Amino acid sequence: MGKSAAVVVTSITKRFDEVLAVNNLSLRINEGSVFGLLGPNGAGKTTTLRMILRIMVPDEGAIEMLGQPLTESTQDRIGYLPEERGLYTRMKVREVLLFLAGLKGLGEHEAGRRIDEWLERLELTSWTSNKVIDLSKGMQQKVQFIAAVVHRPPVLILDEPFTGLDPVNAGIIKDIMLDLRKNGSTIILSTHRMEQVEMMCDSICLINRGQSVLDGELSAIKRSYGKNTVRLEYEGDPGFLDQPNLVAAINHFGAVTEVRLRPNGDSQEILKAAVARGVRINRFELVEPPLNDIFIEKVSGAAHA
Amino acid sequence: MHKLWLVIKREYLTRVRTRGFIVSTIIVPVLTVGVLVLQIVTASRQVGHTLRIVVLDEAGGLGSAVVKGLSAKLPSGEQEFQVVQTLENPPADAEDSLRAQVLRGEIDAFLVLPASVANGKASAEFHTRNPGQVIISSELNHSVSDAVIAQRLHARGVDVKDVAQVVKGVDLKVIKVGTRGDSEEKGQTIALAVVVGMLLYVTLIIYGVATMRAVMEEKTTRVIEILVASARPFYLLAGKILGVAAVGLTQYAIWVTAGALVTAYGATVASMLHAGALPSLHLSWPMLACTMIFFLMGYLLYASLYAAVGAMVSNDQEAQQAQMPITLLIVAAVVLFNVILRDPNSPLSTGLSMIPFFAPILMLLRIALQTPPLWQIALCLGILGLTTAGIVFLAARVYRVGILMYGKRPSLAELVKWVKYT
Repeated sequence: MGKSAAVVVTSITKRFDEVLAVNNLSLRINEGSVFGLLGPNGAGKTTTLRMILRIMVPDEGAIEMLGQPLTESTQDRIGYLPEERGLYTRMKVREVLLFLAGLKGLGEHEAGRRIDEWLERLELTSWTSNKVIDLSKGMQQKVQFIAAVVHRPPVLILDEPFTGLDPVNAGIIKDIMLDLRKNGSTIILSTHRMEQVEMMCDSICLINRGQSVLDGELSAIKRSYGKNTVRLEYEGDPGFLDQPNLVAAINHFGAVTEVRLRPNGDSQEILKAAVARGVRINRFELVEPPLNDIFIEKVSGAAHA
Repeated sequence: MHKLWLVIKREYLTRVRTRGFIVSTIIVPVLTVGVLVLQIVTASRQVGHTLRIVVLDEAGGLGSAVVKGLSAKLPSGEQEFQVVQTLENPPADAEDSLRAQVLRGEIDAFLVLPASVANGKASAEFHTRNPGQVIISSELNHSVSDAVIAQRLHARGVDVKDVAQVVKGVDLKVIKVGTRGDSEEKGQTIALAVVVGMLLYVTLIIYGVATMRAVMEEKTTRVIEILVASARPFYLLAGKILGVAAVGLTQYAIWVTAGALVTAYGATVASMLHAGALPSLHLSWPMLACTMIFFLMGYLLYASLYAAVGAMVSNDQEAQQAQMPITLLIVAAVVLFNVILRDPNSPLSTGLSMIPFFAPILMLLRIALQTPPLWQIALCLGILGLTTAGIVFLAARVYRVGILMYGKRPSLAELVKWVKYT
């Protein structure tokens, strides 16, 4: 992983009238990493992304990209897939892409060549001269993805890139993301899907009410929580989990049950209780807590504070 | 700047290629020419047929004089009136039986000349089922009046022919005095002024609203989010306004060319249809230049306002409401046409034409009617230019914030805040 920073955000604040959308937020996003920007709805994620994109200017603080303060030319070096998708619906697919690539400073000839490559890679070649409105939602999404990456931006911002895609297409997009990362691109991923974050992100920042509540390398964050979670598969009466001074939280997923222990809770006590009640244990595994639980704890914890 | 060019190009090309543009570009001149041809054709072949009438002469002696005067002809060359019968001193029930005949369609109408019509104490009456044709034709009225006047003069011993000589009216020709020579005025100056004024009015509204819709399209389809991440909002706004303007100018160029062809060949066509010369409106080069300048300034002013409205609303209904004040400003200028037409150089006309929101239309109207002092045109352009610059600046600020705001339409206080945002 590159040690230099692709994006450095220093103490930015953004106010809309009385609402503090982003409050003294600092981020350091390493070059060549996949960075997860997480947070509940209305936490200030989109506002933060818009400031990195130079759509908005922070009231206070500074943002640097690739060692430079943001200027018009840094805009050409970012690719953006917004959460709210949108294309000119009455233009032809290739024309839309040519226009958007042009706005990113790409010459028409070079843009045309790359667009054709991308359309082929995403299996859209036969739709090249159709109007955008004739495409399915998933296809439109792929076209929009091409618009985000066609100018080979060193920094790519993807806001919920997988919504609306079937597993096959989601897989294709994921592979492309990993490819881009391997070639040195930095990806900022904003999503509510924690399992995607766990699989793809190197570092994360969790923001709530405009402030960072958790940030750092994902593996280090999870390690800091320790293996305080038991993943169980069992047959029989669930009453053995009914131990309030041992168990902090229980998550039923159907086949699998996840039990989070209290800070000094011993997992062996659960095993003993199960055996005592004649419950059959098929799986008993000590794991780090899933990001989902960390997210909920941090966000609801902050709400109570 | 290259990005600005790309935005203009996209706006222009996608608009020019739409079916709407092609249809409106073709339909408008075709309709105009069509109406013109229709007028020529109907003027030469007017519908209408000879009216069969009966004259009831209760005064006695008037009837034949009236009938002699009824020499009007239809455009087809036939007599307009055919007098079936003239009844002097008719029986009391004559009117009733004639009414029945009219209802049965045996005759078209009957004219009653009461005994006291000669001393002006009663009116002549024309009874018909279809009054339209008579109202258009003043012939009947004239011949009845002439006959009555002649009879009165005769009763006073005056020779009718002498009187006709004495009371013959004088034609009044209106000559327009201009710096480049005088020309006989047959209403073409006013016609030209009104045509140019109306043209500006229609264009400002059509292309202003088109700009508003273009802004809304990008906002509602959410393309705007990618656009503002790629180019300065001011370029996006300017690109929209200039792109739509280019579309408008293209359309006008096509129409003007078509118009020139129609004027060139129109005379031939008209003579083939045995009609008189076409009414010709000559647009001089200075006038054309003024039209272009005022159109461009007015368009910039109003398109910026419309674009700001497009940026601040989220749907069509809101847009309808929010654009009303702007459209009303343009309509107001047209309502004020009369003030200018009555006296283009009155203090009121001068004052109104200096108000920047009316200036593009009203000053142009004044120039077309009677060129105002040069300092007034210069002052007007100065005020208009400054206002336009100010409006463009404000519109850009509203646009920049508005395009990213969804939800309810902002209040005036919120708009002021938007303008102040950094």
